[in-house]
Order: sequence, then structure tokens, then C-alpha cells
Amino acid sequence: MDTLKEDLKKQIIEQLNLEEITPADIADDVLLFNDSGLGLDSIDALELIVLLEKYHGIQVTNPDEGKEAFKSIDTMAEYIRKRKS
Amino acid sequence: MFYISAASTISHQPTFQNAGFSGMIVPLAAESILISPDYKRFIEAGLLRRMSKILRMSVACSKDCLEQAGVEQPDAIVVGTGLGCLQDTEKFLNHSITIEGLLPPTSFIQSTHNTMAGQISLSIGNHGYNMTHTQNSLSFEHALQDAMLLLTEGENDILAGAADEYIEILTEISCHLNVYPRSPLTSAASFFLLSSKEKSGTLAQIKDVATFGLVNSIPDTILALLAENETNADALDLVLFAGNISNDLTIAGVDPDKSLDYKNLSGIYPTASAFALHYAVDRMQQDKSIRNVLICNALIKSNLGLTLLQAIEA
Amino acid sequence: MGVRITGIGIVSAIGLTVEENLNALNESRTGIGQVAFLDAGRDLLVGEVKVSNTDLKNTLSVGAGNISRTSLLGLKAAREAWGQNKHSEKIRTGIISATSVGGMDRTEVFYKDYLAQSDPNFRLLKTHDSGSTTERIAAELGISGYINTLSTACSSSANAIMLGARLLLQGRLDRVLVGGSDALTKFTIDGFHSLMIYDDQWCRPFDESRSGLNLGEGAAFLLLESEKSIEFSGNRTICHVSGWANAADAYHQTASSPEGTGATLAIKNAIKKSGKSLNEISYVNAHGTGTKNNDLSESVALKNVFGDYVPPFSSTKAFTGHTLAAAGAIEAVFSVLSIQNQLIYSNLNFKDVIFETGLVPVTDLKKGQSVHTVLSNSFGFGGNNSSLVFTDHL
Repeated sequence: MDTLKEDLKKQIIEQLNLEEITPADIADDVLLFNDSGLGLDSIDALELIVLLEKYHGIQVTNPDEGKEAFKSIDTMAEYIRKRKS
Repeated sequence: MFYISAASTISHQPTFQNAGFSGMIVPLAAESILISPDYKRFIEAGLLRRMSKILRMSVACSKDCLEQAGVEQPDAIVVGTGLGCLQDTEKFLNHSITIEGLLPPTSFIQSTHNTMAGQISLSIGNHGYNMTHTQNSLSFEHALQDAMLLLTEGENDILAGAADEYIEILTEISCHLNVYPRSPLTSAASFFLLSSKEKSGTLAQIKDVATFGLVNSIPDTILALLAENETNADALDLVLFAGNISNDLTIAGVDPDKSLDYKNLSGIYPTASAFALHYAVDRMQQDKSIRNVLICNALIKSNLGLTLLQAIEA
Repeated sequence: MGVRITGIGIVSAIGLTVEENLNALNESRTGIGQVAFLDAGRDLLVGEVKVSNTDLKNTLSVGAGNISRTSLLGLKAAREAWGQNKHSEKIRTGIISATSVGGMDRTEVFYKDYLAQSDPNFRLLKTHDSGSTTERIAAELGISGYINTLSTACSSSANAIMLGARLLLQGRLDRVLVGGSDALTKFTIDGFHSLMIYDDQWCRPFDESRSGLNLGEGAAFLLLESEKSIEFSGNRTICHVSGWANAADAYHQTASSPEGTGATLAIKNAIKKSGKSLNEISYVNAHGTGTKNNDLSESVALKNVFGDYVPPFSSTKAFTGHTLAAAGAIEAVFSVLSIQNQLIYSNLNFKDVIFETGLVPVTDLKKGQSVHTVLSNSFGFGGNNSSLVFTDHL
């Protein structure tokens, strides 16, 4: 199991107050901002930027950069690893 | 004429979807709590997860009200709130002082006073007039007056209401400011559908709503309002009041046996006169001998709100 | 239809009086600069009113007691708009102010001490609620009776003007001071940073490279009078509020719809209400905050309403900063001044057109224009959109 991805799911659920969703409900490749996926919106995108700084020490200064990185759990994990390496 | 077609209240009393509640409620105990319905019945999960207490109450009451009246889209949404979204305001204030670095934006977004009216319009997809009045204890009366202006201008159905929420720091603040209220501090929301025409389920009619900031004489102001509406204190079957104004009411000729301090029932919050309006309307449904009701809101004594109601002709 | 404006007052980053504001507009001189009076805990560009609270209290002779900056700024502008007018038993006078922060400038001082447990002054909270800021202004001006406060984020004071006009037309009041006031606070500065729409550089409304707003502070009031009130006061009419509309976007909690739904409705209905035709609009004072989202949505709305013939337009936010609840009233005063002085203001800091819409604002001050009718837009958070139309005749 990829612990970074599992941690991300827990952090997202907490940061976005996703009541009634558990980490197991979020597949690694599900589209976070698509209505068929988690259906997140632009306020959530800002909350995810806060999450990256709070838990992973990564600063995103341009919200547009976040858009690409926040497609799915997979892309978020990849983005974090790239920024940290 | 201004008709009340529907009413909905979430409060510390069993008011929600409970017609006839006025006959069964008793004064609130000190440790009473908010009686919340299952909000998922009224609000989409995606919106609900971010909503504070005041937003949940407001949207649920609004939807309930529209459903009761069978109105899909009101022509306008008008909300009164004395202190606004305190929970999110305190949360963001706390973040702004304690967190170094990026702050989560959600509580800031939801800290503005117009969040209730905005969320109601968003959840029903309403593009009409959207307004928020915030004049401490008179916020609700101002919202009602605005709704009545709209009806006079030719609109048909207006969703008008009020909401305020309690947060813990309020108790601490009132102690430090040497205010020791005799009723508990509470949270509540009440919404009404006001219509220009009488409908099959119409509950009552509003004759007049008046607000007086920095008021001089409460008895004179009451008498003037009654005279303007061609009635007098003897004709009043029920007077609901808040604030230390028993003497003023007596001077104005109000029968003490017909008057009732509503904050014992509602608890104290800036827009508690909205609870009083729903209570009055509910009483009028239960007891047809109650035809004329006056609500005297002097929760803050320098501000007087007067609402005059009349039963629908049988 | 419409109501008469007989007095105006303003305090903003570009001046403490109507005259000072007009001079700065005439010189295309911005009031935005590094934060100096507020302890914001960071470097940033803001449109501060260049006076301390102490100096404001002295100027206004309100004593040294607890009063929020929102009330002080509001009182300064309200007094100028009120002028030498007198009270009378026969003239029902009211006041409608608008604010989004109320006394938050005092509350955040309290809350910092409260969290640090260092003897917080609970009395500071007496000015927290928005209604109390208006009551204070009313008390100083001797106004009682109809005292009201509106709070619809960035469209608040446009709504105060609208409500005042409606109350006069329905005969509920004879005379009403309408406007709004907001002080800069750490709360709102941090708030717009958290939304990542606070520009660390000069805000650039309607420019392709725009990336956010600079906050400002200030207040403005207008005195509206009925015929009956004018018979009593003998005041000269300086302009009219002749159209207004308020519409909800119902799209998103913060963002405006890409189609500009609410904005289009507000603009269209306000012009319809004024009885003017589209080609009679001489100038549009846009909301134009400088955020990606607002300026695009507003441009789309302007094109929806005016098609290929969008009137000369500019945003004055690059002069004053975004003054939130005060913006609608501040820009109403600018609209009146535009008509009185036949001026169309420059949209400062503009270089490149927005790619999607290709709209070019007025980039140099235009003098000697024939300005008879001005549309002023105020759009806010929560999808609150309001537009007003000002005319030199009815």
C-alpha cells in the first residue's frame, strides 16, 4: 500500500469535511473535481493548497498550478514526490 | 395587503414541521439545546458538509417554507440577522491570528452576513432580489418591511426570514459586560412566505411593521402605530413582547393578562421576534378568537420593532 | 421615476472630502500604497485612508471613547453629505448604511488579547455588530426612527442607495442618508489572501495580466430627498438616482458565473427601470475588482447587454482599492461627479485587453465629455449583484 496516497485520502476527508466518506471510497485514479468522482469545487481547490502546505510543506503560489496536480490522488502523490525530490 | 402563506422555524423548541407547537411548549430551561431536523432531507450533501449551524437552519427552513406554500421560486429572498455567521467568523478570526502561512478560506467565505441569503438562492437556483439586513435586534423587522415594499411594488411571493446562531464565547462576553440574561442565549431561524394574495393555506395577514431606532417614548410610539392602523389597545387579543417594557405596555393600555414575554419561549438571540411571529401565527390557527396580535420587540430598549397581525376573515 | 440627490460626502484613499477625491480623479492619481496605519503583519498594497483613528476622533469631536474605524469613516462622509441640513418634526429622516466588517477592526484587537489571555478588553466588542456602527453615525447626526444596515458583501452600499430610493418612492420616508463604510482589517486582508485573489502588485482591472485585488477602505453617503423634503430644505438637486436592480447569480459561493447571469440581469433591469435606452448610457463605472473571475464575468455581462456597442467604461478600484461594502456608495459619488464635471475616469494600470472579450476600458482621463447617464455596477460574494443608474435629469 502506498502510504502517501492513504495519508492524502485521510487528510482530504478531514480538510474538506467530507462526512460519510472513508479513504476506501476514494480510488487512486478517481477524478476529484468531476461530479462522477468527488465533485469538489474551486473552494476545495484552495483548501487542498492549504493541505499541501500544512501536511507536506509544499507551497503552491499559482492556483492554476494546483488544477493539474489535483486531478486525482495519483496526480497529487506524484506532484508531492516531484516537489520534494 | 400582505399575507403569510407559510412559516417554518428551527429553534430550541419543537417548532419545526410541528403545527400547533404553540399549545405544547413551555419556557426554556437553562440548558436547552437546538432541536435540529435531519438536514440531509433538505440540503445536498455537497453543500451541507461546509455549512455552519446558521446556514443549515436557514436553508432547511426556507425549503420547508416553500414546500408548504407550494411555491417553487419566490420573487425575492430577504434575510435579517443580528450577528450573522458567528461560528465561521470566530473560526477565521482565530486562524488569522494563530496560523502562520496559508489560511483555509472556507470560514472566511462563510463569515459574511449575506451567506444565508446567498446559500438559499444557490440551493434553489433563484435569480431574484437578494438582500440581507443587519440592524441588531431589529434586523428581522427590517427584512419584513423590505418584503412588504417588494409586494407593494408588484411582486407576488417573497421568502423573508431571520437567523442567528449562538457560540460559546457569547456567554463569556455577556458576563464580562455585566449582562446577565434571565433567559438562555439560543440559536434559531424562522422563514416565512409573504404573498400579495390570499391563498388556500394562508395563515394570517400582516397589517403593519414599523421600526424605531433610538426611540423616545415606547407607549406613544405604540399608540401612534395603532391609531395609524385604525385600531386601539383594547382590540388586541394577544401582545407578545421582549424587553423590560411591562410598564410601557400598561401605559399604552395593553391588558397584562393578554401579554406574554416571548423570550422565555424563544430564548435570547437578536432576531427572536421572528420566533414570536411564528408563535403568534401558530396560536391564531389554534385559537380563532385571537384576531389581532401585536409584537413589541424591545429586546434592546433603544430600538423598538412593532408588528401588527390580523387573522384572515373566515 | 427616480429620486433626487441633494448631498454627497466621501472619504477614501484618494481624499477626505469630495473635493480632494475629485482632484485625485482629475489628476489620475492613485491612493494605493504600502500599508502604513494598520498593523497587517505583512507588506502589502492597500488603499488606506491616510488618517489615524486618533486624528479622525479629533476632527469629528467624538471624544476619545470606544468607536470603530468603520463608524469614524462613515461619520466623516455622512457629515459631509448631510451638510447644514436641519431636522424637522415634519420631515421623516432615515439613514441606511452598509458595512461588511462592522466593528471588526476593534474586535480583532480584542480577540488577539483574548487568545493570548492578556487581559482582553471585552468592551471593545460593543462596537462589533454592524448595526451599532450605523446607530453611532445616526446618533451623532441626530437621526432617529428609520436606522438600518445592509450587508451583502461588495454590493452592500449600492443596495443601501436602492433601498433608500424605494422607501422615498413609497412615501415611507421624506429624506434618507444612504451609503456605506468599511475599515481595513486584518480579517479581510487575510481573507482575500486565503482566496488567493489579493494582488501583491498594483491591481490591474480589465487587464489580461490581472491577478487579484488590492483592498481599500473608506465611506460615502448620499442624501436623497422627496419633493416634500426639498420644499422644506430648499436644497438644489445635483443628480438623480433613476434606475436600480438587484439580482442573484445563484452560481457559486464566491465565483461569478462565466455567463455573467446575475450581472446581466442587474444591468439590464437597472437600465430598464431608469427608462433610458442602451445608447443613452454615457459611461459605465464598472465593478472591475481586478480578479480574473469578476472582470471576465462582468465583461461578458456588458457584452450580453450592450452587444458590440459597450459604452466607455472604467473601474476606479485602482484609485481607491476595493472598499467592499463602501464601494457601491464611493462609486455612486464618483458617478455623480462624472455627470457634474463631464468627466470619464481613467482605468489605471491597464495595458492588454482580456483575450476572451477584447473589451478596452477608458485609459486616459476624458474631460469635456457629454455625460448625462452613468451606470454603476457592484457585484459581490454570494452572487449578490446590483446596478444603479444616475442621470442629470429625469
